[in-house]
Amino acid sequence: MSLGTSDPLVIAGREFGSRLLTGTGKYDTFETMREALAASGSEIVTVAVRRIDLDARDDDITAYLPENVLLLPNTSGCETAEEAVRSARLARAGGLPDWVKLEVIHDPRYLLPDPVDTLRAAATLVEDGFTVLPYVLPDPVLQKKLEEVGCATVMPLAAPIGSGRGLKLRDAIRIMVEQAEVPLVVDAGLGSPSHAAESMELGADAVLVNTAIAHADDPVAMARAFRLGVGAGRTAFLAGIMEEGAQAVASSPLRGAIHGP
Amino acid sequence: MFEALSVSVNGREQEVAGGETVAGLLERLGLGARYALVERNGEPVERARYEEVRLEDGDHLVVARPVAGG
Repeated sequence: MSLGTSDPLVIAGREFGSRLLTGTGKYDTFETMREALAASGSEIVTVAVRRIDLDARDDDITAYLPENVLLLPNTSGCETAEEAVRSARLARAGGLPDWVKLEVIHDPRYLLPDPVDTLRAAATLVEDGFTVLPYVLPDPVLQKKLEEVGCATVMPLAAPIGSGRGLKLRDAIRIMVEQAEVPLVVDAGLGSPSHAAESMELGADAVLVNTAIAHADDPVAMARAFRLGVGAGRTAFLAGIMEEGAQAVASSPLRGAIHGP
Repeated sequence: MFEALSVSVNGREQEVAGGETVAGLLERLGLGARYALVERNGEPVERARYEEVRLEDGDHLVVARPVAGG
């Protein structure tokens, strides 16, 4: 795709210029986070929702978030469908967008999402008027069920959250790409820009990255690198990637060599 | 004169004046300027109604805010 050509990501009828979604967790300072978010070009940025500690006045993250991005509250910390629905409703009532990154997790070791409660919560939240972006295992059957209840995206993990291992379940994600009817966002486990590029080359519509940027030595530079990786992968996908072959195919003419007859 | 009420905020008992609103409570807790999300007895309170919703004795309130997360 040539520069200047429009290739928006469309979720629930809303257009976004960037295919890189970013999380706000794990930065050393909010100042660094703000710079990294700007460098990433992200237009969708996740936040968590937690009780205020009445004894400790922490800094207010909302003062550091760019105004032109969509804040996407997540339901992290929720272990059941009921808890996730409660958290999403609290966020919306309090003035956050009616979009929600739905995550229901009760496995502390691998942080793998509960597919049954995620589906249950998704159905309830869609019914309640939310735009629902569920975080799931790469399960093509679950994907179809989430689409059927009206989810706006499906967001399979590449590898466990924060592991940086890349597309460990590539074949399952390939099936999901092939049959996706709403945007597919690879979320969690991407450790480097090449992982992001690989996801986009495979045909993912977007990726969501947090730890790999926040924990880099230079998060701002890494945010820029992920932006480029996503752009490279997307452009390659649209350009059409060559088929792999088992044998060599010469790039130079086989006849007329200088030493010939 | 309103009688004082006892409400719980994030699990802690608080005495508030009778007739106190959600907005008034947030102000008193030093949270007036913050992006605060409020749940009252299990039901979320719409931001636009913080000024008008009056607390009642025995209310259970959860006060939350957006934080960094992925």
